[in-house]
Amino acid sequence: MNNEKFLLGTPTAYQFCDDNGIAIEMVAKALSKSFLSVEDVQVFLNTKSSGKYESIKNQVSKYWDIDHAAFGEIRIESVDNFSKITAENLTAAVQVIPSVTHGDNFSIQKINDFRQQIKEELKLQNRNLTLLPFIIKAMAKSLKQFPKINASLSPDGEKLIYKNYIHIGVAMQTDFGLVVPVIRNVDKKNLLEIIDDLQNLTTLARSKKLKQEHLGGASITVTSLGKMAGLRFTPIINPPELAILGVSKTLIEPVWNGQEFLPEMKVPLDLSYDHRVINGVLASHFMADIGNRIANPELILV
Amino acid sequence: MSEQKKKVVVIGAGPGGYAAAFRCADLGCEVTLIDERETLGGVCLNEGCIPSKTLLHIAEFIQEYKTSYEFGFTTISSNDKLLLDKTRDYKNNIINTLTSGLGNIASRRKVKHVKGYAELISDTSVNVNDVTIDFDYAIIAVGSSPISLPNSPIDERIWTSTEALELREIPKSITIIGGGIIGLEMATIYAALGSSINIIELSKDLLPDFDNKSASIVKKSLIEKGCKFYFNTKVLEIESLPNNLTIHCESDTSFTIDSDIVLSSIGRKSNAGKIGLENTLITLEKGDIIPVDEQCRTNVSNIFAIGDVTGMPMLAHRATHQGKIVAEVISGLNHKFLNGMIPKVAYTDPEIANVGLSESQNHLGIKIKDTSFPWMASGRNLASNGGNGLTTLHYCPDSLRILGGTIVGKNASELLGEISIAICMGATLKDMALVMHAHPTISETIAFAAEKSLGTLTDL
Repeated sequence: MNNEKFLLGTPTAYQFCDDNGIAIEMVAKALSKSFLSVEDVQVFLNTKSSGKYESIKNQVSKYWDIDHAAFGEIRIESVDNFSKITAENLTAAVQVIPSVTHGDNFSIQKINDFRQQIKEELKLQNRNLTLLPFIIKAMAKSLKQFPKINASLSPDGEKLIYKNYIHIGVAMQTDFGLVVPVIRNVDKKNLLEIIDDLQNLTTLARSKKLKQEHLGGASITVTSLGKMAGLRFTPIINPPELAILGVSKTLIEPVWNGQEFLPEMKVPLDLSYDHRVINGVLASHFMADIGNRIANPELILV
Repeated sequence: MSEQKKKVVVIGAGPGGYAAAFRCADLGCEVTLIDERETLGGVCLNEGCIPSKTLLHIAEFIQEYKTSYEFGFTTISSNDKLLLDKTRDYKNNIINTLTSGLGNIASRRKVKHVKGYAELISDTSVNVNDVTIDFDYAIIAVGSSPISLPNSPIDERIWTSTEALELREIPKSITIIGGGIIGLEMATIYAALGSSINIIELSKDLLPDFDNKSASIVKKSLIEKGCKFYFNTKVLEIESLPNNLTIHCESDTSFTIDSDIVLSSIGRKSNAGKIGLENTLITLEKGDIIPVDEQCRTNVSNIFAIGDVTGMPMLAHRATHQGKIVAEVISGLNHKFLNGMIPKVAYTDPEIANVGLSESQNHLGIKIKDTSFPWMASGRNLASNGGNGLTTLHYCPDSLRILGGTIVGKNASELLGEISIAICMGATLKDMALVMHAHPTISETIAFAAEKSLGTLTDL
């Protein structure tokens, strides 16, 4: 029977859809149901507004339902809205994406030498050259080689949407929370342009002036701890992207050159990826490609 | 912050109009309800549903009374007769009780009732009794009136349902032109009162909106009551003669029928043409039907139309539901009228009632199967001298969901509600069978019909 033609829900479910300005046909399709109750429509609305967050949160909230005051003095502070939105996004990612993290350390000896050479010149230009722009440019180059990583799944998981553009999100900590502004068309920009974009977005983010156009639509995200503590970490993928690259503080490793151990400056990279789309071999190759470009920055610059 | 109350004018105080007016008032609008009649309730209360059901009840009693010798009454005589004045008073009392009740409900809600003929003079104003009333919103609910017979003479002996329900006399013979629901209800009343009935119908059978098996039970019963059917028959002319009316008919051959009274029930037409719509930007369809969207809004956004003026099916309960939706839309809610599940009832003897889809009503090309339970196998029906009847569920053979139901039998209209709920709540045959029904009841036949198809029936 073609249910779309017959009644799709109780009278109250119909009116509840009308009240919320949604078509019952759409709800039935989204939930893969032939007949809807009001509760079904409510579940749809919850899911729509916050991924699967609300419904999952409701199911497990009992674990947080603890009288902490019974154990000693406490203080209660409301969670601000910004953090709530971030929490929803992260919860959805963790609940939905089967993610795996690959980690390795890659030499930045050459980048470091290069930075030393041009440091003074850039300072005159009022530019600050860190490691991050090199990594961003390397990611863009590698994404071009691995188009399957520059993609997103459709909401029903039935289709993979390939992106012919390369936009890279950069996670930034601000006084009011975590934001991920996006550098557009990284593949078409040179290192200086990326440095400028990064600086510009950082300023906007810190002054809370990011606009809609600065957010969303990224191919992949990079999140860097800079010089902060932690040898490595497992970043959480920013949906609907398929991967995120975590950058930890650089370190010096002894490297055996056949005769002796020599100190070499390295950066630890951790790639978390959506295992529904990306398998381990692909992720490993992608990671190696980025590492190779970082170790040999001439591959980034040309 | 005080907000200006929305001014709503409702034209027509039938079951659609008064429901809309009362609901508007409840939702905070300032409401004026205009109707030509002294009393509220429209055709339904004054000369339609309610008086016809009153007379049908009397007809049912007469039928029952006539058979009461079977269970031992000895006082029945062929000289028993109705004091028509008393019958008429009885009927009018019921109408008065209901209409005055409505009047009270209206004044309690501070709905202003204006008696008069309303004519729209623009998209925002209406004229009644030479007074102009401006409105923010108007709701057109002016209903319908009987279509008059073409080529018929002016003669007091040619009735419509209005005259028939006035109970002027009990004619020896009545010829009913048009075998639709109204015609058959009038046939039921006057057959019981003792008139001999002819029914002339243009199409090949009666009750085309109901499934054949159920409709044939009604037909058989009416024939047993002395009704004579002329199908595939066209009326060419009605001739007024001093002693009777002669109806010239054409079927395979031409013939005439002599009759004391002719009752015309060939359908009803929208009254939309009578209220000055030409002064608004509203455009009509098919001559006199006001096209509306799913919120009953006309092409002029502040004017709504409900009930018979919006076309078929012309039923009171449809108008009432539309009226409530419109009031809610005016108050700012995004409600829509759900057109699918409109119950249809003919209050014949026996009654026949249908809701949802059936084979004959399957416009959607959906797979439908039927399962029925005959009332002759129902203990309660036999115990209460209920006569013939049949309960049929129309269902989807894949999902077993109930898609529709047709009931023919005594009080079929009352039983139908259970099936409406079942359809609207997504119930399956199994649900119907597993819900415990009291025994002995006629409502059991619904569960029995479901069980029959599931193979779990033990009552047949």
